[in-house]
Amino acid sequence: MLSLKNLSFRNLKGYAGRTAALVIFAMLMAVAVFGGTMVIGGVKTGLKTVQNRLGADIMVTPEDAGSEFDAQTVLLQMEPGYFYMERSKADEIAQISGIERVSPQLFMASAKAGCCSAKLQMIAFDPATDFTVQPWIADSYKEGEMGLMDVFVGSNVTPNDDLIIRFYDNDCRVIGQFAPTGSTLDNCVYMTIDTVKVLIESSFVKGLNKYTEYDPDEVVSAVMVKVSPDADIETVAEEIRQKVSGVSVSTSTNMVAGISESLDGISKTVSVFTVIFWLIGMLMTVLLFALMINERRREFASLSAMGASRKILSGIVTKEAMAVNLIGGIIGIVLSAVILFMFRGLIGQSLGVGFVLPSAGTVILLALAALVTVIFAGAVSSWIAIRKVAGMDASLVLKEGE
Amino acid sequence: MILEAQGLTKDFPRAGKGSNVFMVVQPTDLTLRSGEMIEITGRSGSGKSTLLNMLAGMLTPTSGKVLLDGADLYSLDEESVAKLRNGKIGLIPQGHTALLSLTVLENVLLPSVLYHKDAAPESRAKELLEKVGLTSLMDSKPNELSGGELRRMAIARAMLMKPGIILADEPTAGLDDENVIAVLELLRGAADDGAAVLLVTHEDEAAQYADRVLTMDGGKLSKKER
Repeated sequence: MLSLKNLSFRNLKGYAGRTAALVIFAMLMAVAVFGGTMVIGGVKTGLKTVQNRLGADIMVTPEDAGSEFDAQTVLLQMEPGYFYMERSKADEIAQISGIERVSPQLFMASAKAGCCSAKLQMIAFDPATDFTVQPWIADSYKEGEMGLMDVFVGSNVTPNDDLIIRFYDNDCRVIGQFAPTGSTLDNCVYMTIDTVKVLIESSFVKGLNKYTEYDPDEVVSAVMVKVSPDADIETVAEEIRQKVSGVSVSTSTNMVAGISESLDGISKTVSVFTVIFWLIGMLMTVLLFALMINERRREFASLSAMGASRKILSGIVTKEAMAVNLIGGIIGIVLSAVILFMFRGLIGQSLGVGFVLPSAGTVILLALAALVTVIFAGAVSSWIAIRKVAGMDASLVLKEGE
Repeated sequence: MILEAQGLTKDFPRAGKGSNVFMVVQPTDLTLRSGEMIEITGRSGSGKSTLLNMLAGMLTPTSGKVLLDGADLYSLDEESVAKLRNGKIGLIPQGHTALLSLTVLENVLLPSVLYHKDAAPESRAKELLEKVGLTSLMDSKPNELSGGELRRMAIARAMLMKPGIILADEPTAGLDDENVIAVLELLRGAADDGAAVLLVTHEDEAAQYADRVLTMDGGKLSKKER
């Protein structure tokens, strides 16, 4: 039934082509603002998650790890690999002042052969000293400690239906999976040192280990270092470099530096595009709305002749502008959210950085902020249109063209 | 209900350089009473429509007053004038005045939804559409109607609120003879029912229905010899 309340919607329906164009431009603005801020937020969240997950202030690896470990890029591009140094290096590092905790890790890579489910990076930690992996496991695995042949997998690792993953013909039980970090950590399999020793022995038996022989009890791949709260990370790192020979020392800041630099570049580019698209959307919304109102000058003059006050005419115009921008804004936000959610992996890959969707609370805030900017465009459009309608001489408009 | 014009004038600035104005409506006095139908004739551009728009509260006069039952329309605020027009004045402007997104019936019902939240008076609208011969087209959209049909729709709409004053600007333009008579009879009927009707027209037949015939020439209103 006809009412003043639904007159605006009837008008929008009556001018379907123009309304669709207005909705599309409102969508464009919402996609630009929401999508843009989500991408920036996503890479920032990725960076923060990676930093938190690293857990260590300093990571010490063998100097001769060479191409298998580049601290600057390891979080973004890492081929499964392994390298070793004497276990005594961990003890040497522990002696250096300013260090709170030290924990060795042993790396291994599965083979691209029938004996393994997939070629993956394995990271083994020492449950007695570990402070980097276990806190994350404890967050989601409440059933005690990891047993022999139990593994925790990164978000990109897919176990079979029985939650079994096979390495060198050994079945490992997947007891949990980490949330995504958007980095190469998502492709890793985590286990205790006792488990990796079994796998290393099997790799020797099968002749699939690149080393001829070594004693897993006598080697480590990396030493994770937590610096005392009162010590400076860079100073401690420098002291390790000077006092421990044959090692390469990376700080967590070093390791995420590559991501941070990419992040700055991405943020700037995305911000520029966001502003450009929003401005185009805003300009087109104002222009199209002004055209639509101009085209309907005679309708507004007729309403005035029927006794519609300026307040009523302004209400009709405002409702039309707000409705069209609200609908377009919501569609744009939902569309962006779906695309970002579905293609988050691909987006991270194409941006060359880690991409993790921000928390639900942040997403809602960003969505609301995007909606506010779109509604602002609607308010500007209606303000311009209202000025036009209010300033028109209805009696002259009704005489025009007759 | 009485609508009075007292010393009403309207000046418009001349196009081009200088500050010259030309007086479209010379000082005019006019009284329109309930039950009376007045016809104003005159050449195009003589000021008929300008006078009608001033009487409807749509165009502020340069000087003079428009009194509706003694109340000066132009001393009221814009919203009050608009409400008065909605409830008491049925204005039939020139040309096409339909909202393209609404059906013919909805267009006729429009004045009733501007200030009233009650259900729109559909039966009255349908009755008026029947009187102007548009019953079969009430669910059509305005772009499916001819110019004459749109004029008849505007007449039905102006009469929906049972206004005490009806101001009609060329209501029969574009209508065939049969419909001209139907519209004139409708307006006469409204006057007979108590409305005060002012009709601006070039139609010769209108004089037979009017109580008084006035003519406008160069902005001057005078009695036409019959």
